[in-house]
Amino acid sequence: MYRYDEFDAAFVRSRTAQFRDQVARRLAGEISEEQFRPLRLHNGLYLQLHAYMLRVAIPYGVLSARQLEQLARIARKHDRGYGHFTTRTNIQFHWARLEETPDVLDLLADVDMHAIQTSGNCIRNTTTDPYAGVAIDEIEDPRVWAEIIRQWSTVHPEFLFLPRKFKIAITGAAEDRAAILYHDIGMRIVKGKGGETGFAIYVGGGQGRTPYVAEELRSFLPKEQLLSYLEAIMRVYNLHGRRDNLYKSRIKVLVKALGIEEFRRQVEEEWSKIDHVSIDLPQEEYDRIAAYFAPLPLVPGPITDAGVEKRRREDASFDSWVRNNVLPHRVAGHVIVNILLKEPGKVPGDATADQMEAVAALARAYGHDEIRVTYQQNLVLPNVALVDLVKVYDGLVAAGVAVGNYELITDIISCPGLDYCNLANARSIPVALEIAKRFADQSVAEDIGRLRLNVSGCINACGHHHSGNIGILGVDKKGTEHYQITLGGSPGDDAEVGTILGPSFPAEAVPDAIETIVATYRAHRREGEVFLATYRRIGQAPFKEALYGAPNSGASSRKQLQEA
Amino acid sequence: MPNIITANLLRTGDVVYFAGLNNWVREIGDATVAKDKDELSELEKTAQRDVESQRVISVYAMDVELVDGRPEPRSVRERIRAALGPSV
Repeated sequence: MYRYDEFDAAFVRSRTAQFRDQVARRLAGEISEEQFRPLRLHNGLYLQLHAYMLRVAIPYGVLSARQLEQLARIARKHDRGYGHFTTRTNIQFHWARLEETPDVLDLLADVDMHAIQTSGNCIRNTTTDPYAGVAIDEIEDPRVWAEIIRQWSTVHPEFLFLPRKFKIAITGAAEDRAAILYHDIGMRIVKGKGGETGFAIYVGGGQGRTPYVAEELRSFLPKEQLLSYLEAIMRVYNLHGRRDNLYKSRIKVLVKALGIEEFRRQVEEEWSKIDHVSIDLPQEEYDRIAAYFAPLPLVPGPITDAGVEKRRREDASFDSWVRNNVLPHRVAGHVIVNILLKEPGKVPGDATADQMEAVAALARAYGHDEIRVTYQQNLVLPNVALVDLVKVYDGLVAAGVAVGNYELITDIISCPGLDYCNLANARSIPVALEIAKRFADQSVAEDIGRLRLNVSGCINACGHHHSGNIGILGVDKKGTEHYQITLGGSPGDDAEVGTILGPSFPAEAVPDAIETIVATYRAHRREGEVFLATYRRIGQAPFKEALYGAPNSGASSRKQLQEA
Repeated sequence: MPNIITANLLRTGDVVYFAGLNNWVREIGDATVAKDKDELSELEKTAQRDVESQRVISVYAMDVELVDGRPEPRSVRERIRAALGPSV
């Protein structure tokens, strides 16, 4: 894992001291709320529906046990005993108090963490494959580049006041598990013609009001030129991105307006003018950072374990958990353990202080001191020896985070919605909980198979509804919460924006509607076919008909649903 | 339509309702109700003094309905906010 050097540590300490002074001056009335607001937002402190909310950066979703324990301490001492992991792989504390926030930032600085650039029109946390460094299908560890991008983008003087926020994701694996095509810039580590590694660069993806899948900007960029090329993209966006219209301010709108060819031409032209040598990373600096991410000296072991097999035969829950949540590791005898924060009845992405400490303790004892946060709002222990798997599972059971529904219909992404958020039009969490309850029978959920169901409480799409195989979007319809359903979205290599199925449903009708959609899939699917494949084969019509009735009778059927 | 004034406390962020100068309450039912425009503008003027003294932020007036003479929120958003926590 990367450790702060003296410069990083001193910088974060100085920012924390600055913020302490700013808060003191605000509380003393020396600066107005109008003056203070941008200062607190630069430190991740929002005002939400019930209270302040502090969003803490978790760079590319990587945490040490010590850091996770510190987050638990903050949750217990300065919040209400829990935190919420977000789709940007950050953590939010929903009950922050302004007067205590400087103390919280100090506690974060103690463990090389902060809340800088978790808000505002700047480059936000770069996200990556949660299995980075351990995945069997990986070309090169993307964390090295995520860390390089973190250093480059942190308080980069040119890019702190962009037209709008900016999100970058990077994967180094064959399978995209970082939803790179839904980012302002998405990057994939690829092999060039001569076997050398570089990047395929995608630009202009995003969710929100106008969802787009990113387009390829460059099929191969030599990796040593990454920073100068990123700088060229950022400059074109910074100059031409719309600052006059919030809804058109993201890079995706600029890319669409110019067309990818013209955008590419402008980037290449800008790039040709940049002094590459002063921006691109010298090899020795790359090597210095890469050393932090050197593979662990794991000793290969047998690929089966008698203890695990015995327990699987005797304990159906364990068996199901292993089947769904445990993935192969690149070193034989080791596994990747997905820890789902999706227990039935629990808010997706929430973890209590006790749970954080339990996971941290397991990471320390059996996980080489490393935890990952995923954009699906789960945690991962990326390095567990197979012989320790039963102990890890028992620890997770004791902590109440041992549900085995990874990527099943109950592994729901949900934004906080109107229960917490000032921007939301409708609640997300109760809808997610109700759907999870309908499919709580693990054998049913497993029979349905891989299905991504995502819920957002407003069009800003923090709950990634556009990329859900089933997406649910909360809307305000004459003062009542209604929900639009989209089908066919995908976040992966086959990224696609879901299509709205028809008129929206009131909250109480949503679980039935989802059951109808799932029943339609099960009726039509072929052997081994996942939901998305069936949907792509048979199209929207059968789902629409099941939900709204045959064409021309849609109105009456819809009315029944609304009145249900 | 009757109105009340709501805000968040600067120091803690707590949701509060206006019940007179320097008197912000957590319980929405205890808020001072403005029955018409004139009463509301009076109320807003007084509440503004607590903004200036750095007691509260994010101040706004909201519609309420009166149940047994006590104000209750009308919108889903304000119902959740008045409950002082999430609905789940």
